[in-house]
Amino acid sequence: MNNKKNIFITDLNQPNHIIQWCPGCGDFGILFAIKRAIIQLNLDPKNVVIVSGIGCSSKLPHYIKTYGVESLHGRALPVATGIKYSNKKLHVIVVGGDGDGYGIGLGHFIHTIRRDIDVTYIVHNNETYGLTKGQASPTTKKGIKTSSTPFGVIDNPINPISLALTSGCNFVARGYSNNMIDLSNLIIKGIKHRGFSFIDVIQLCPSYNKIQTDLYYKDKFININCLKNYDNSNRLLAINKAMEKNSEKINIGIFYEDNSYLPFEENFNLIDENIKNININNLIDDFK
Amino acid sequence: MFNFSIKIGGPAGEGIFSTGVLISKYFQKANLNVVYTMDYPSLIKGGHNTCTIRCSKKKIFSEELFQDIIVAFDKLSIEEEFKYLKKGGILICDENNNFTEKNINIIEVPFLKLLGKENYKFKNSFIFGILVGILGKNEPILRKVIKIYFKSKPEEIIQKNIKIALLGLNFWIQNYNKLFLIETLIEDKNNKLLINGNDAASLAAIKAGVKFIAEYPMTPSSSFLSFMAKRKDDFHIITKHVEDEIAAINMVIGASFTGVRSMTATSGGGFALMGEAIAFAGISETPCVIFECQRTGPSTGIPTYTEQSDLKFVLNAGSGEFPLIVLAPGDVEECFYETFDAFNIADLIQTPVVILLDKHIADTKITIEEFNEKNLYVLQRNVQNLNLTNYKRYKFTDTGISPRTLPGEDGVYVSSSYEHDETGWTDESGKNHKLMQEKRFKKLNLIDKKKLIPKLYGPTNADLTLIGWGSTKTSAIDAINILNQIGYCVNYLHFIFINPMDSLKVKKILNNCKDTMILECNYTGQFRDILREKTLFDIKKTFFKYDGRPFFYKEIIDKVKEVLKNE
Repeated sequence: MNNKKNIFITDLNQPNHIIQWCPGCGDFGILFAIKRAIIQLNLDPKNVVIVSGIGCSSKLPHYIKTYGVESLHGRALPVATGIKYSNKKLHVIVVGGDGDGYGIGLGHFIHTIRRDIDVTYIVHNNETYGLTKGQASPTTKKGIKTSSTPFGVIDNPINPISLALTSGCNFVARGYSNNMIDLSNLIIKGIKHRGFSFIDVIQLCPSYNKIQTDLYYKDKFININCLKNYDNSNRLLAINKAMEKNSEKINIGIFYEDNSYLPFEENFNLIDENIKNININNLIDDFK
Repeated sequence: MFNFSIKIGGPAGEGIFSTGVLISKYFQKANLNVVYTMDYPSLIKGGHNTCTIRCSKKKIFSEELFQDIIVAFDKLSIEEEFKYLKKGGILICDENNNFTEKNINIIEVPFLKLLGKENYKFKNSFIFGILVGILGKNEPILRKVIKIYFKSKPEEIIQKNIKIALLGLNFWIQNYNKLFLIETLIEDKNNKLLINGNDAASLAAIKAGVKFIAEYPMTPSSSFLSFMAKRKDDFHIITKHVEDEIAAINMVIGASFTGVRSMTATSGGGFALMGEAIAFAGISETPCVIFECQRTGPSTGIPTYTEQSDLKFVLNAGSGEFPLIVLAPGDVEECFYETFDAFNIADLIQTPVVILLDKHIADTKITIEEFNEKNLYVLQRNVQNLNLTNYKRYKFTDTGISPRTLPGEDGVYVSSSYEHDETGWTDESGKNHKLMQEKRFKKLNLIDKKKLIPKLYGPTNADLTLIGWGSTKTSAIDAINILNQIGYCVNYLHFIFINPMDSLKVKKILNNCKDTMILECNYTGQFRDILREKTLFDIKKTFFKYDGRPFFYKEIIDKVKEVLKNE
């Protein structure tokens, strides 16, 4: 991770790519938090790959001067998995929205947790499908009226935190897009964590989620890591915390962290393998 | 020059295919040519399963419809298969089947009495011994072949199987010594391989430097994953059985983006799930190789039987238009060499390549000469024209190919499924899209033109030219060899590359044929349509087979005779 040259914000900025997010969008905060994390960790941008799906948040790779892949709706995790398997020296960060990751991508989410692949997954959770103009997403609360649910959502929302915890994820956290420094510190911890790290970020969407504004969230957040009796090395306790029903309070911070596992990695790096003159004589003997 | 065939039939789980492979390897040791085919329903136990082993001194390519020996493990096999036994042929079955039929030798073998309950499960080796008795009685080869086939098992199992096989051999010698097809067989050291299409392609992929395979197993493509998974540590390959085909293809794209040669394999239904990602590979100019092993369709269809009915679907995979290379190897050797080349082509053209196989070519084992690896070179990435001061991943060039950087190197960029400008940044303008489409399609011009025309087999000025693609080749070649021996003049035009195709050259070739007939295993005549579309040439004579089975060369001969008689 440590680099000879220091990385500055100017190394990461992409001034030619005009940011398409609405004024007040929470994605700006997440973008800043990621950039700050890369700088604090002094990661060489050419060793960083940011993989996204499709959506407003998925434009993010274009706004940082690292490698990136803007892939397909819901498929960022498999693409990121293929990248990390191929070159384990790369730092892979995955970003995408709640519609992308908790809807169409939900299957890959759980299987990527099972694989415990060493990537950091940041979900921009604004409880809506922003780019397609405000339909209900898998995290939209019951009863909310949207263009696809004009009489109110009738399905139950996904609980991504408890889902990640029960699937076995060893780093589960939640941040807030306007608490950029705290969020950045969560991201730094997530990148440092060896294995799959997951950060659900409550993200403001001033265009399509006009109920959950910064004012709405004022005084609602409880940083569970500041609570005296919260032990974030206890998975069952974390699941309990994640499933607490309280419309007035929202838990944020690191719900669960276990750094004792080293995810399985091969002792070879695929990209470094010499493929010029592979000898298959032993294989051919099997057919003689 | 002898040529004969054995068919073994019975329920799944009793070792029918073991016997088939054992006798095939027995012939291989004697440097004879073998074609081994398998026919089985989608079951774990029971059902009616068969394998055929055709053997000849001359070079053969496909299976026989009619058999010289039939071994029936159960009564159902007798009922189903006796009609395929030639006059004077041998039927080996259990006692008390009360089966009578004129003109064939019915040999009832009291298996349970001879083996006893505890050894009954080794019946397949006993039958192997009997077959050795009919076919040359070579005991050293029998021992060798059992040792090779069971090499992963403990020594006592190997010895047990040898003992039981020798029991079978001696049983035959004592009771039916005068009934044989080969009197004596001698071992003839050779370097031939007995191998099927999937394994040949897997070998080529490993040789070509594939280091990542993600697959969701789907009959008949599953052997790619298991073949490579077994060898993953020897060759430093990461092999993943993933949650679905969408995960598989997207992982492959991620791996390719990173610069690692990667592949996936599937059948029609799985390929259907990969469409979106294939278009993503096309627009992002990410190389990847996908094996589509066709089964009988549509939908889940008949998983363990064959067809050539995904051609148009594969050619049009993914939304929109982008260069998608599709090729269909026709035999085991083409599976090897064309697969090796496909990885070079995918890297050179920076686009997805689909290798279209089918159950028939996937599963059928054939004896071939050792592969000639002398001229096989892994294409290296061209880093000469990389301009890092103003790096543009999708730079417009004369050839359409833009030099690419890999993560870890200077020259960062974002690979995107959106339409993009030369740098990769999203660009929705009309001017850019037009130029990008032209750029991407121009890349196809770099493919070696020799690959884009069909190969002709047989005499040059034939009365009738048979046209086919993919696994039709093997039966067609056997058919024309015999037809040309008995006074006909027929040749076979074989297509491997379906897209792209040198339409002008192909049109000339077709127009120079005296008469043409298309052979393909589908109902709607897909390749006939494609040739018409690409060359305006209308093939009027057709032989479409769509019963889930491959062409038998005998059927092709009969059809040609019928067609030429009516002229």
